[in-house]
Amino acid sequence: MKRLAFKGQGGDLFVILLVNMLLTAITLGLYYPWARARRLGWYYENTELDGHPFHFHGTGREMFKGFIKAIGLLLLIYGAYFAGVATHNIMLTLIGLLVMFVGLLLFIPLVIHGTLRYRSSRSSWRGIHFGYRGSLGELYRICLRDGVLTLITFGIYGSWFAMNLRNYTIGHLRYGSSSFQYKGDGLDYFLMNLKGYFLTLFTLGIYGFWWQRDIFNYYVDNLNWNFQDGKRIAFKSTATGGGFFALLVVNVLIVIFTLGIGFAWAEVRTMRFVMDNITMIGDADLDSVVQTEQEHKNAMADDLGDLMDIGVFF
Amino acid sequence: MEREVQAIYYDGATSRPQEATVCVSDMNSLEVRLPGGDRFQWPLEHKGMEWERSSSLLRLSFGEHPRRVLLIREELFIKSFVLRMHYTGRQGAYDRVLSFARSGPVLFFLGVIALLVCAYLWLLPWTAERLAMVVPREVDQRIGETAFQQMALAMTIDKERSEALQEFGGMLKLSAHHEPVYHVVTEDQVNAFALPGGHIVVFTGILGKMDSADELAALLAHEATHVEERHSTRMMARSMAGYLFLSLLIGDVNAVVAVVAENANALRNLGYGRGLESEADAVGQERLLANGVDPHAMVKLLELLEREAMEMPEQLAFLSSHPLTKERIEAARRKAEELGTPSAANEKLDLLFRRVVPHGDQPIKEIPSSDN
Repeated sequence: MKRLAFKGQGGDLFVILLVNMLLTAITLGLYYPWARARRLGWYYENTELDGHPFHFHGTGREMFKGFIKAIGLLLLIYGAYFAGVATHNIMLTLIGLLVMFVGLLLFIPLVIHGTLRYRSSRSSWRGIHFGYRGSLGELYRICLRDGVLTLITFGIYGSWFAMNLRNYTIGHLRYGSSSFQYKGDGLDYFLMNLKGYFLTLFTLGIYGFWWQRDIFNYYVDNLNWNFQDGKRIAFKSTATGGGFFALLVVNVLIVIFTLGIGFAWAEVRTMRFVMDNITMIGDADLDSVVQTEQEHKNAMADDLGDLMDIGVFF
Repeated sequence: MEREVQAIYYDGATSRPQEATVCVSDMNSLEVRLPGGDRFQWPLEHKGMEWERSSSLLRLSFGEHPRRVLLIREELFIKSFVLRMHYTGRQGAYDRVLSFARSGPVLFFLGVIALLVCAYLWLLPWTAERLAMVVPREVDQRIGETAFQQMALAMTIDKERSEALQEFGGMLKLSAHHEPVYHVVTEDQVNAFALPGGHIVVFTGILGKMDSADELAALLAHEATHVEERHSTRMMARSMAGYLFLSLLIGDVNAVVAVVAENANALRNLGYGRGLESEADAVGQERLLANGVDPHAMVKLLELLEREAMEMPEQLAFLSSHPLTKERIEAARRKAEELGTPSAANEKLDLLFRRVVPHGDQPIKEIPSSDN
């Protein structure tokens, strides 16, 4: 059954982006976190499930704090390297470099964790909040183990890494008393990407749209929503390669021929496409969810996740 | 705000939505009636009451977490509600700008674009340069020192000729704030460069092409001007500021726009780089005159490089880092005429020049040419 919908209009997003740009420019960038909060809020407000909109509760002030924390942490990490270089001592420079690399590696799970906790706790639907209950320690364990395995297999294990990470994070995502589950398999994911890669190569890129469809389907079809009474809703994708082709080619044409001004409309087309191609199967009662999550006050690093391009989408 | 409107009510405890009826009981509160017969007051002037309005939706929330929520989609009601709330002075700057933007999107768009372009073209470079100038010159020296230490590992430095060049450069007063350190590096490239803070590296390739001391003096004057006028630091400040500005602005926009903007930024920096080269020529010429060298030497140097570029297209290094154009030569010639010739010639330079560029000892695979 089709229950998700995106109701936003390109013109509306365009005005919001424009105001954000103006305020960001005249405050020399300081407004950016507020701009981002406004924009996220707009996406949530225009995404509907069963005719009810989602809501984003995050504020620019929270995101600004997260942003400052993240910048401070990054400066500290990079500072180690620059301090090493400043001494003109090869040994100390190498140590500084090592500290920087290890610091950056340790930083990534922290960002993922912080982003998930912050973003989910600031999302609600029908007044019930989402939440993330994964543990940071477990996330570190997965990232370290799989990170090392990925390195020594020259990246091949990366598919298993991606799936383990997705299984764990989505598996600890909640909506009130209901929870989510993702059942991705490293081997399936690896073979799918292998096939996609070579077919895209052989068809001079044309298969890329079908590869894109396969990835999208894999993300959607393995997602389940479990309710406290044992019932569940399964997500199913209806996206086709042709659909992706039309979406992406037209989007690129819109953006290029309007010199970027049409970006908002391209964005809205993408959101529509995504929401229109996710169906939900199952008879669970969406009215039965009870509020469970406490108020989460720590805006750890949501904005940093954004800076480092770690998109969180659910 | 006198009518009754339909609203959706979430109680914050369960995900069950309720169809509520909302009506205005007095100026300071709403009355909410639920289908089960329950009714309660919803205060408007209360710390725990928040409202947000998007294009077609009014969202009121109230209380501690989990908050109770009312959603209203009735357009007329939203309008009068917003008016009433603004009347008591609760409108943020953002909403004011947004409603202004909605009233005339095209005009607003053009205005914003004009403002952003002006900021990018004039305000930003101006601010960046001012900031760069505040950075103490010691920082230039440290950056240059660190960079040179790392580069030196990969270069073959000719000690003897470096000393000769140092002596040659020492005869000239080229930089008021820095003491240039000269290095001759054995390398066929027809090139030379200056690091911030004073290290100036000259390749044997370019020395081999020179016939007279004044050409070398012109080269050093050009490079020393880069150091003295802090061109690297200014360039870095400008390109960093431009990059930050653009990435903040279009951080929200997609990859295609980002690529276009980044290339435009790089192109602009290239233009700025050309401006700095011309400045190094002109100021260098003034320094030449002050040191008793004919400013026409800069024209000779540029012509030499131009010939070089035509003869050996595979060694265009100097050209790519020092874009060379007819206009640049023409500008140098005009500047030389304007400055005139020095009253007393600096004769010691010729002797020193022979030590920097020993005759017949040119490391270049010589291509038959008419000169010499």
